[in-house]
Amino acid sequence: MTALRLCAVIPTCNHTTALDAILTRLDAAGLPVIVIDDGSAAANAEILRAICARHPNCELQRHVFNGGKGFAVMCGMARAAERGFSHAVQVDADGQHDLDALGALIAMAERNPDAIVTGAPIYDASAPAKRRFGRKFTTFWIRINTLSFRLPDAMCGFRIYPVEKTLALVRKSVRGLRMDFDVEVLVKAHWAGIAVAPVPVKVIYPEGNLSNFQMVADNIRLAKMQTRLFFGMLWRAPSLLFSKPPRIVGGEPTRWSVMRERGAGWGLHLLAAVYRLLGRTVCLAVMVPVILYFFLSGREQREASRDFLDRMWRAGHLKRKPTSWTSFQHFLAFGGSALDKFAAWTGGISHSKLRGDGVAALNELVAKKEGAFIITAHVGNPDVVRAIGVLGNAVPLNVLVHTENAEMFNKLIAQFSPQAPVRAIPVTKVGADTAILLSDAIARGEWVVMVGDRVPVSDGGRVVEVPFFGELAAFPQGPYVLASILKAPVYLLFCARERGVFEVRFTKFADRIDLPRRDRMGAIRAYAEQYAKALEAEVAARPLQWFNFYSFWHRTSSAGGLQKATS
Amino acid sequence: MNPLEDELRELIVSALQLEDVKPSDIDPEEPLFGDSGLALDSIDALEIGVQIQKKYGVKIDPEDEHVSEYFRSVRSLANYISGKR
Repeated sequence: MTALRLCAVIPTCNHTTALDAILTRLDAAGLPVIVIDDGSAAANAEILRAICARHPNCELQRHVFNGGKGFAVMCGMARAAERGFSHAVQVDADGQHDLDALGALIAMAERNPDAIVTGAPIYDASAPAKRRFGRKFTTFWIRINTLSFRLPDAMCGFRIYPVEKTLALVRKSVRGLRMDFDVEVLVKAHWAGIAVAPVPVKVIYPEGNLSNFQMVADNIRLAKMQTRLFFGMLWRAPSLLFSKPPRIVGGEPTRWSVMRERGAGWGLHLLAAVYRLLGRTVCLAVMVPVILYFFLSGREQREASRDFLDRMWRAGHLKRKPTSWTSFQHFLAFGGSALDKFAAWTGGISHSKLRGDGVAALNELVAKKEGAFIITAHVGNPDVVRAIGVLGNAVPLNVLVHTENAEMFNKLIAQFSPQAPVRAIPVTKVGADTAILLSDAIARGEWVVMVGDRVPVSDGGRVVEVPFFGELAAFPQGPYVLASILKAPVYLLFCARERGVFEVRFTKFADRIDLPRRDRMGAIRAYAEQYAKALEAEVAARPLQWFNFYSFWHRTSSAGGLQKATS
Repeated sequence: MNPLEDELRELIVSALQLEDVKPSDIDPEEPLFGDSGLALDSIDALEIGVQIQKKYGVKIDPEDEHVSEYFRSVRSLANYISGKR
């Protein structure tokens, strides 16, 4: 419990009718108030002045021009900081916030002084249908942009902000200072790792209410902001997926977890429905500006793409000499694969979309109920096969991922499909523990999946350089070392998109990986060469589905041998 | 000779399929890793770690900063295991 130095901030633009009642309630709660008159018309400004004058605890700041709700709130908060308040509760001036909930909000803020506490509206029948739809739409986008269902309805302005943290966040990263502010600040807070704690509140739409929400202009503004956030989300997707949510203390745990689960199911259905309704082409078209943004801003990735494409051209795997347009298509293909991945994990891609010899080979191995070690690559979309297999309960999967925090991925999958037998294991910590866990899994007939074309960042030494398209490139030793310890048959899985279906290639790599003590490095090198050769064939057939956007060949690696010491 | 050290020597030879080494050839004090002695490497360490955990239920955390001390010799491994059991 922390004692808050709390004040209220009320932005208002021509809202005069409800203000007096609000101020009376806040007086009763003992809260000093800062009212920001956000460019009200002269007559209304006069009324506001008169109302505020009746409440000695109320400070009025007049902006002669309308700067937008977010700007007004921030000015109020800056003033709160000047006056030494630690927290500010934002209250809308139109009276739609149920001030009965103030106590609950304050209690939550006392338990979580570093969090933004936000009212999560429960709508009664007085809410106009149009607005309700708008909010659902916004909630949907927020879920996409935070890749989580942790954030509640973000359009509710009834909040308690930690003053200094919020000011810092807004100075650094929030751009929308109008109606889009409420939403953006929550999403950015989530990205910045600031906890967002929801408290259920009632929202009332008073009759004859004047709303400053302009149905067209503000919805466009919201849409624009969501697009902007979408860029940022794609960029942060990995860390968002794997990030641990900041802990929220207290509140209404049981109730919220129930609501959240229900929300998740609903959001999921909506996402999947949108994809099915609009189709991949439309979704991809919507993503084009996003991808263009990455293309233009991601110089390093662009250069890596171009270098790769030039190599493909020289090797005769591209029909035309690559240009910037080819590079952009390369980026587009990547965007498309992200979309496919998403669709696959939400059940939007059916088994019937899988083609190629690999399908029969996969089914055969599934029928055998035999444990296997599977090596894939960042080529095409092996995720699609994984998702379809996992959602169809074909076989339990253990996926080694290059991320510190695999727990979140596990949770996410559990949310998508609670029965899905898939487990993510961080590749950074493969020790005896993990090896035992995995060898038990294999003994049970489960599969272990790992990529063979990403070298570990931290573990610099454990790579082996082998020829790849005619020049040495670093590949990880990990897959072969682990497979040798697991003593399981090893397969290669590739899956690439080809005219709307997915070509699957699934081939036996080795019955068992054997690394004889006499020439371990040589054996590892031979396996890596075999893998690189298989990868070459796959990449040569569809160069644009190569999704390693960094310079694959020119890395400064110490392609060392096995470590002699264990530390 | 302590029986645990004996067991460990057997475990190392069978886990690593050391063809030309007999358990009794391993000096409990000689370094397991490095250029002298058995000259085992990190893969061997992982394999031994797996077998030790399976047999004795003793976990060896690869992130532990002292891990190379535990693995220094058969004797140090035996000390570590009997300390943990």
